[in-house]
Amino acid sequence: MAAKPGSVPTTYSPNLAQKTRPPIFKDNDLDWVRPDGRGFHQCRPAFFRTGAVNSASGSAYAELGNTKVIVSVFGPRESKKAMMYSDTGRLNCNVSHTTFATPVRGQGLDHKEFSSMLHKALEGAIMLETFPKTTVDVFALVLESGGSDLPVVISCASLALADAGIMMYDLVAAVSVACLGKNLVIDPILEEESYQDGSLLLACMPSRNEVTQLTFTGEWSTPDINEAMQLCLDACSKLGKVMRTCLKEAASASQE
Amino acid sequence: MGLPNASGDLSTEVEVDAFRRLFPLRFFEKHLLESIRPDARPLGRARDTTIALGAVASANGSALAKIGSTTMLAAIKMEVMAPSIEIPDEGCIAIDFHMPPICSPIVRPGRPAEAAPVVAKQLSDTILSSGMINLKELSLVSGKAAWMAYLDIYCLDADGALFDAALLAAVAAFSHLEIPVVSLNDDGKIVLSEEQGLSDREPVNKEKRKVNLGSIPFSLTCILHKNYILADPTAEEESIMETSVTVVLDSSSQLVSLYKPGGAVLAYTSAIQDCIALTRQRVKELQKILEEAISGMEVD
Repeated sequence: MAAKPGSVPTTYSPNLAQKTRPPIFKDNDLDWVRPDGRGFHQCRPAFFRTGAVNSASGSAYAELGNTKVIVSVFGPRESKKAMMYSDTGRLNCNVSHTTFATPVRGQGLDHKEFSSMLHKALEGAIMLETFPKTTVDVFALVLESGGSDLPVVISCASLALADAGIMMYDLVAAVSVACLGKNLVIDPILEEESYQDGSLLLACMPSRNEVTQLTFTGEWSTPDINEAMQLCLDACSKLGKVMRTCLKEAASASQE
Repeated sequence: MGLPNASGDLSTEVEVDAFRRLFPLRFFEKHLLESIRPDARPLGRARDTTIALGAVASANGSALAKIGSTTMLAAIKMEVMAPSIEIPDEGCIAIDFHMPPICSPIVRPGRPAEAAPVVAKQLSDTILSSGMINLKELSLVSGKAAWMAYLDIYCLDADGALFDAALLAAVAAFSHLEIPVVSLNDDGKIVLSEEQGLSDREPVNKEKRKVNLGSIPFSLTCILHKNYILADPTAEEESIMETSVTVVLDSSSQLVSLYKPGGAVLAYTSAIQDCIALTRQRVKELQKILEEAISGMEVD
């Protein structure tokens, strides 16, 4: 029989018994290896591809490890009727997850916090005055959540904006760092994020060396903050190069 | 992309595009007279179709299906439920179809697409009535626990024939589904059994890692316009010519379902038969594509 909405019986996923901290923490902090075998200061290999969604003005797909994100950009198009007149353009961001994105099945609702963070990270990079009275919509869907979702969404969204031909001062690359005990690990996966003591997210425009967003949560010491920010800035400039290459490839492919 | 037009006043590409936008129906009819479509397909041909299995690692089974640029991602997550008292030895399948705002300019957040619930209902009717999955196979402990298979299909790019692509992604996800090995713990709850630690507890579903698919349903949507039948329409074709017929046949060419939701063209029996004949050809193509995707997985 089909389960009708509303009459769905309560279900649970057959998970393993609740995990405690991983055994790697037991002995020496310096000895442990990251679950995917990366160095502490090594990002996951990034894959970007523009033009993932044909019906959008611009779009991009990003994959870092198990984190898979797709972003579509629509517009500039007419703002909602209820909106007041505005000399500058509007940016509208929305991030949602699929129901199967997380290990435990979710509801697939909008992620309000990510939506507003994405908006704030991109706002500073876009030349809003180039499309007065209209709105650019940036919609992101997290297909699979594998950790560091928000930074991947931000980077992917800036690539999608570039694909849509929206004027920007520079691409926005974002990277996060997790603080695990004494160690700083860059680009944490989901498992590492669940054990982290603190996290830092930095979004910047690599070629202008300007930061558009910086957020800290949790416990940090001042030297750690400095180190983590430097790590992020370096990683962002590398990520920016990867993104730029992706755009160049797409442009040269379309010329042929 | 536009064909050189018969009338002399439309000489340049720009004018063809303008003509297409201003008089879409006439633009299409001029093509139809020549038995061709603006994307250079003959009327009865479907677009290129691909299937990729295992697109999402966080699900128990998943598949990405593309028909032309229409893209569907289907994933199945298995959860445990207590079966109802009337049917203690059957599991359940919950099917949902989503059209997130990324897929099309007409869908906006908070304003769901009208098409989504329609396609969701058609999908769940088709999949559950086709007999593809025997719900008894989803039982774990009779009367105590059974699988609830949550099948969620996301439209990533909407360019027509949504139902066909969604059904294809759904059946592909089921063929990729791998059921986790579980055992019953002391509290009467089902837990994943791992190799170490829980070896004293006997798994309850050691041999049932894959669901046996019975006859697999495949579908083809056709547009009826005057006397023409256009297989596998794009979003543009669907918006201009509104009468569609969706035929679902299973792998042994038996009719599973047929939808003709109204529309301006009243179909003659012969037109319906032509649609069924087109679907029969298409089923063979789709079967081959699915088999190739599955055998491709086994090689890795």
